[in-house]
Amino acid sequence: MLDIKITVVDDPKTAPRAAVVSTEKRSDQWSLLLVQVGEERDRQAFAQLFSHFAPLLKSFAQASRHEGWFPGLSEELVQEVMIKVWQKAGGYKPEKASATTWIYTVARNCRIDMLRRKSNTQHLPLENEDFWHEPDEETPVSLLRQKRSEDRVQASLQQLPKEQDEILRKVYLEGKSHAEASEELGLPLGTVKSRVRLALQKMQILVAPEFRDELI
Amino acid sequence: MSTLKHHPDTATLVEFSAGTLEPALAMCVSAHLHFCDRCKNELMRLDQVGSQIMGEADPAEVDGQLFDKVMAKIDDLPEQEKVSLPASENNYPPLVEKLVENTGEDLTWRKMSASVDIARLKTGQNDYEVALHKICAGGKTPKHGHSGREFTVVLKGSFSDESSVYTEGDFIMKAAGDEHQPMGAQNGECICLSALEAPIKLSSKFGFLMKPWLRINPM
Repeated sequence: MLDIKITVVDDPKTAPRAAVVSTEKRSDQWSLLLVQVGEERDRQAFAQLFSHFAPLLKSFAQASRHEGWFPGLSEELVQEVMIKVWQKAGGYKPEKASATTWIYTVARNCRIDMLRRKSNTQHLPLENEDFWHEPDEETPVSLLRQKRSEDRVQASLQQLPKEQDEILRKVYLEGKSHAEASEELGLPLGTVKSRVRLALQKMQILVAPEFRDELI
Repeated sequence: MSTLKHHPDTATLVEFSAGTLEPALAMCVSAHLHFCDRCKNELMRLDQVGSQIMGEADPAEVDGQLFDKVMAKIDDLPEQEKVSLPASENNYPPLVEKLVENTGEDLTWRKMSASVDIARLKTGQNDYEVALHKICAGGKTPKHGHSGREFTVVLKGSFSDESSVYTEGDFIMKAAGDEHQPMGAQNGECICLSALEAPIKLSSKFGFLMKPWLRINPM
């Protein structure tokens, strides 16, 4: 069910001279469980996801250094995220993202919504989910590329120089903007931006960086 | 093949992915993503970075009752209703449609100059004025600069300035002080979403002296 059959056809209009490149699976247990929750409303599977992800989500919540965040919100966030996971699991597509990536995006959106709800200056008529778009590109090649990139990110994250790793953590875990990170670390903004970019290049996240006009 | 030439820079996408981008800018990035598969896919990979960092964190101890609490709340959930937005003739990106709907009857087009109309959008924040701009076909605007940063996404049609032509989906950032003179394309009107940073250094005391270009009014 979860196998992604990758076939590459030179020209879709000609007879499919299909060459099988690979049959990569996204069969990590968490993605399988998440599918079960989505398709069968399986509470056992949900309990297993909960016991794995709740402690990680709490740790993610505790790492937040957003203005207005306080430790008491951490378990509130865990609850909110897991409820959303239950509600939205039906829309999870394992060929597009691993369970970990999918749950991370739910957590990020919940964290921002929670902060906005507590803010005195922001009363957005939107939820953070509204800002998001599912990637449309669903060719077998692009799906394979996504899967590979996930593996590569995992492998290369540990090999980043400490200074690059430190900034990525500030940005993704603590929720610091580049400007805030630059202030905290006493580094020029341009240095922060280029360290982030170097890290992403090393992980081959930026597939075609040359098409962007970079403003440092 | 997408013809988009102007995209947000990497730092902007990273902040969007990490959720630290100011909401008005995130609105512009979101509108751009509606048109740009390339950035959408790059963003997905950026989300993978966030997820790996979260996945490698040391797990924190969770209250033993928490699972039961969550299940109790799940059992109390009301039936989910699929709310779909009424189809609009504008055909804007979904997030822009929501902003337009939220602004409701307060959405009014007013003249900014002979060839430009503006309609401010209610966005629930005060750091940026978020608005729709309409440049009439072939319309020339006066050369102008802004006291804050300006972000623009073309929603319909196209316009050009001294440095380039911008078509549907293009994302343009102007730094404070950058001057430009946009011109509408000859073949039809152009509609853009823009976010203009609130000036900090200009005191409202002299507001009446500012040209409409320099005045901003978040809604």
